[in-house]
Amino acid sequence: MVADLAIAGQRFSLVRGSPRTVIARLTARKAARSGVIWGYIFGIAIASSAISYTSIYKTRAQRDALEAAYGSNKAMNVLFGPSPDLQTVAGFTAFKVSMTLAILGAIWGLLTSTRLLRGEEDSGRWELLLSGQTTPERAALQSLGGLGVGAFVLWALTAAITIVAGLSSKVSISAGPALYFAMATVATAVMFLAVGALTSQLGATRHQSAAYGAAFLGVAYAVRMIADAGVGLHTLVWLSPLGWAEELKPLTAPQPLALLPIIAFTAVLGAAAVHLAGARDIGASVVADRANGQPHLRSLFGPIGLAVRMVRATVISWWVGIALSAFLYGLVAKSAGGTISGSSLQKVLAKFGAPGTGPDAVLGVCFLILAILVAFLGAGQLMAARREESGGRLDHLLVNPVARTSWLAGRLLVAIVVILASGAVAGVSAWLGAASQNAHVRLTTLMEAGLNLVPPAVAIVGVGVLVFGVRPRAMPIVLYTLLGWSLLIVVVGGIGAVSHWVLDTSVFHQMASAPAVSPNWEANGIMTAVGMAGAVVGGLAFRRRDLQGE
Amino acid sequence: MGTTAIRTEELTKRYGDVAALDHLNFEVAQGEVVGYLGPNGAGKTTTIRLLLGLVHPTEGRGEIFGIDCQRRPVEAHRHLAYVAGEANLWPSLTGAETLHLLGRIHGQVDDAYRDELVARFDLDPGKKVRAYSKGNRQKVILIAALMVRPDLLVLDEPTSGLDPLMEQAFRHCIHEARDRGQTVFLSSHIMSEVEALCDRVGILRMGKLVEMGTLAQMRHLSALSVEATFEGAVPDLSQVPGVASLQRDGQIVRCHVRGSLEPLMKVLAAAGVTRLLSREPSLEELFLAQYGAETVEEAGQLGR
Repeated sequence: MVADLAIAGQRFSLVRGSPRTVIARLTARKAARSGVIWGYIFGIAIASSAISYTSIYKTRAQRDALEAAYGSNKAMNVLFGPSPDLQTVAGFTAFKVSMTLAILGAIWGLLTSTRLLRGEEDSGRWELLLSGQTTPERAALQSLGGLGVGAFVLWALTAAITIVAGLSSKVSISAGPALYFAMATVATAVMFLAVGALTSQLGATRHQSAAYGAAFLGVAYAVRMIADAGVGLHTLVWLSPLGWAEELKPLTAPQPLALLPIIAFTAVLGAAAVHLAGARDIGASVVADRANGQPHLRSLFGPIGLAVRMVRATVISWWVGIALSAFLYGLVAKSAGGTISGSSLQKVLAKFGAPGTGPDAVLGVCFLILAILVAFLGAGQLMAARREESGGRLDHLLVNPVARTSWLAGRLLVAIVVILASGAVAGVSAWLGAASQNAHVRLTTLMEAGLNLVPPAVAIVGVGVLVFGVRPRAMPIVLYTLLGWSLLIVVVGGIGAVSHWVLDTSVFHQMASAPAVSPNWEANGIMTAVGMAGAVVGGLAFRRRDLQGE
Repeated sequence: MGTTAIRTEELTKRYGDVAALDHLNFEVAQGEVVGYLGPNGAGKTTTIRLLLGLVHPTEGRGEIFGIDCQRRPVEAHRHLAYVAGEANLWPSLTGAETLHLLGRIHGQVDDAYRDELVARFDLDPGKKVRAYSKGNRQKVILIAALMVRPDLLVLDEPTSGLDPLMEQAFRHCIHEARDRGQTVFLSSHIMSEVEALCDRVGILRMGKLVEMGTLAQMRHLSALSVEATFEGAVPDLSQVPGVASLQRDGQIVRCHVRGSLEPLMKVLAAAGVTRLLSREPSLEELFLAQYGAETVEEAGQLGR
């Protein structure tokens, strides 16, 4: 049914298509938007990895050396998955980006799904949609369909860029394998869209739902790590969604049968989500939510206390993730470090900015991964501040005797403390892991390496505050594009074929790979100064602008 | 007029080419209860957000108790409390925690009065905000505003979602506030509420203040509603000075009369009127008189 309204000579279509699919189309539009952004990032990561390989590892000897270094390294396999065929562009590309993109895809799927399901319910918009010609089950089913469109866009862009890159005679990845590779890459995204749909029924809020999903992702990653650790437990790979994606083995030894658990898992979780959506009351959750709570008044002494209270649960879960990751890195540092001396892996690590041998060199690269996590956590603090504004809650604070700048300064203080503490958590946890293996890495060295994680995150947050002050609605896209770009550049730069002008645009490239090398305090100072300058300018701009909703 | 609680001078807000508020000038004296009316999009919330310093004016200025709202917002906010039409609160906090937080931030809370308000509004403060209904969330921000006993209450659709009993409780609180000398600036769509509470009323249309005065002043300037019943022939009243909106229903004639009633009374007396009813317009009729004709006209255009 189409109803048109004529106003001032123009016709506005009120409803396009069937009203029974309006939720699907609405969800699809939102999911496709972020699918486009991440599709580009996925595609460029794959293309740059493949093209860079052809320019660095030109000869057979170089590729054999790479195979010798990576192919048999258990520590690398634990972190990034198996590396069966590093002598070919396709094999290297699959090894290089698959696990990283699988995890990014899972995070994308989880956050998109919880945002568009439980997030819509939190905002009250879901109730409005349910008052239309639908039921909760059908609405949930429609949303899943819309999310599927988002995943399709992600896959299509990833595949298109991979196919274009594959046309190069040096890369030479034909369309069929490229399509399959893109499918394997977005498989975790699809599965975690379903995970998010299910946890949206379990949790009472979007945050709770995302936290349940994140915990599941953590377990899935840990199970896959154990399976790939080469300790005779490889069958465990079939217990983890990340393992199923890995078993698709794109570009090397395709195993489409691994699609079966992926399809079954997605279908079962999707069906469960639809069923639960119909079985529960709107606004309620399957996991009982305490409607009453003991008041904890002492912490609510003002805007800073409120900020701490609001981010506490999320930050603690990030710290647990950082601590576990750092502990695992510390655990494998000694064994991995022992295999690199004299191998071509030593050169590879050097290109990541971690020269030398032994556990320090391995930890140098591992701390780069931790730096990315800490920067994402810092960006998340700024996003939380923006949500206070866009959700209208900031109004309730600023109509009191609270200056805008002091509110923002308070939020920044919380963000900086969170970032600093994350560095400390990373340093101590990595040391505990390394010490348990007698890796002979000093606590002070790793604490220094932890502190070294702070400046890139501060720079990111500072630039974010600048955008927050000037164009708040653009902040999420600018912030995550900056993070994605910095991440991409450092990954591509790790294999060496990028101009230093481009490399210098990545905050992670500016960071010295401590503990492999000493922290570059000058670069750290500049990054901190850039962050502070951005924060000051952004704070001044925030004082002069209107508060803006979504 | 004593101390001025609110003053606007040429207050203007434009979004691109659209003037949300166009050179607004008015004053509210300390201790007054002023209603602020206008249809959706007239600029009521924009006025309030400008006065609160949440958005910045394109031109002009606003003052709260002589303090510039834009240049010294923190000082201005010490004198006021605000109730928004939508209570977007922190879902994971309980009602008690929210009241504690907002009280701490404002800095001055009458604890006994807060407890009294909680009882009067029948709020369960132990529940989390996400478990509250819309009306209960609205109660939380109403209590938060009233408990600090501010010099000025700025209320934007404050009873949105409240049931009639709670609306009565709200009216009682506003009467108490006025008795204590507090100033109230009330934006509302509920005419009976404004009529019952406000000393003066301002009517906003398309960003411009088209009327501001007491209800008596407005009524004096407005037409009187007259209904006359005749036994015999119904006279032609269309030529009588001041008569408008003439409607005939059998032996009954209804019309509006602006200005002196004398010419109409002479005609009616001569025609043998058997029953005569007249009444002053309600606030709703005054409001619709400002908007009704144009709204009907616009609706007609849309339908064509």
